[in-house]
Amino acid sequence: MPPLEKPQHTKPFKLRKSFATRKQEVAGIRSKFPTKIPVIIERYSREKYLPPLDKTKFLVPQELSMTQFVTVIRNRMSLMPSQAFYLLINNNGLASMSLTMAQVYKDHKDDDGFLYMTYASQEMFGNTRECVDAFKTSHVAD
Amino acid sequence: MDAATLTYDTLRFGEFEDFPETAEPVWILGREFSALTEKDDILSDVASRLWFTYRKNFLPIGGTGPTSDTGWGCMLRCGQMILGEALVCRHLGRDWRWVKGRKQKEEYFNILNAFIDKKDSYYSIHQIAQMGVGEGKSIGQWYGPNTVAQVLKKLSVFDTWSRLAVHVAMDNTVVIEEITAVYALAGLRGAACAGAGLELNGCLEGACALGEEETALWKPLVLLIPLRLGLSDINEAYIETLKQCFMLPQSLGVIGGKPNSAHYFIGFVGEELIYLDPHTTQPAVEPCEDGQVPDDTYHCQHPPCRMHICELDPSIAVGFFCRTEDDFDDWCLRIRKLSCSKEGLPMFELVDSQPSHLINTDVLNLTPDFSDSDRLERFFDSEDEEFEILSL
Repeated sequence: MPPLEKPQHTKPFKLRKSFATRKQEVAGIRSKFPTKIPVIIERYSREKYLPPLDKTKFLVPQELSMTQFVTVIRNRMSLMPSQAFYLLINNNGLASMSLTMAQVYKDHKDDDGFLYMTYASQEMFGNTRECVDAFKTSHVAD
Repeated sequence: MDAATLTYDTLRFGEFEDFPETAEPVWILGREFSALTEKDDILSDVASRLWFTYRKNFLPIGGTGPTSDTGWGCMLRCGQMILGEALVCRHLGRDWRWVKGRKQKEEYFNILNAFIDKKDSYYSIHQIAQMGVGEGKSIGQWYGPNTVAQVLKKLSVFDTWSRLAVHVAMDNTVVIEEITAVYALAGLRGAACAGAGLELNGCLEGACALGEEETALWKPLVLLIPLRLGLSDINEAYIETLKQCFMLPQSLGVIGGKPNSAHYFIGFVGEELIYLDPHTTQPAVEPCEDGQVPDDTYHCQHPPCRMHICELDPSIAVGFFCRTEDDFDDWCLRIRKLSCSKEGLPMFELVDSQPSHLINTDVLNLTPDFSDSDRLERFFDSEDEEFEILSL
């Protein structure tokens, strides 16, 4: 296993590699592992509460359910069951937990052949402005 | 930031836009109104909801903590509002109405007293802020919808008067089996608590006398479903489904907000959400010795605030109240019907049980397949990052 302290990528996977490279990568891995789904899982750029994952690229058994996949990721991050964790497919909709990876892949795979997921918890609500109104007013005027 | 500023200033200057004259139906917590012919009913229904806002000059939280929740308590107040609505449905019924100055039942004051800003009220700001420490939130820190839902679930155990089963559905999935297990357990625990707390409330004596039957009884269910309907903005495919939630008779509304400002959403008209806003600071209220509470400031007596549904922050929690098992069965039926309809994307999934193989924790700690891994390393020798291989 590689060490956990790998440097975190600042750019999303899609911006780090060209379409051709990504497509080639999928073709290569799919020929080796035809029953496994290539998944890119990344942390939402504004996520403040969930830890980063040490890996971005996963090869997931196609019969794995989304519930199982989420459980694997939750365990990796050592999250409490009461902590909010959401997987959004293509930065868009919530993953339906009863589907298998193969079903999700069929409906949502990218043109490059990867399945893209982003994880995020929930936003917190509060308003610093109400505490330091005067400061904020002068700050906005700058 | 602009949106938050607007709300704050609107409240500060006391200007409230009147309710729109529109032929579109108005939905408030499962009830349909006409804005043209039933405006008074709409305002009366809104005014009857419990309105919890920032307060100041309460006794310090934890003895030495804050004496006001201005700036940090908005989501905690929204949690109080959605649970307050559950208690109103539980003890007074959805049709109960508040009228300024009119004498109210004892149950009503019991509900209000459960939220008064004192350390020993069941669901006070003190209790919520302190219970949040267990969820990793220090006192005065901001909450999300899930944070407050988790805290309310914990606090509800001590409310032997209401005997609620608060269930928080995680991972955008409602598992029916988990809920039926929760209420069976809660029934047992409730009976045990009732035995210990006879002096607190006369009604419990009767409940305790039920003994074994008690354990088989359905406990009124508060179902809270924390969700994230997008990353920075709400995915528009969810908008129709979200509206449908307010149309269900079991609706307790939605807690969520605009970025930084939490609101309690109670309904919609057209493309606008109707909400109660906690962002106004009122002085803490001292209950009278006889248990009555000066209650004017706990009801929103102006036309409710509205905002476009697309402004909604994607982090929300949807709430439902099922007084009886039949109510819950009816809710399940309606949710299944909705998920079959082509209008809108389901926000959450309803399943009978969790797949049985999940109980096996060995399967959960999937280990990388090392033979695969070795082959891969050779294959992607020049790559900067390798695949992590999961095997069953």
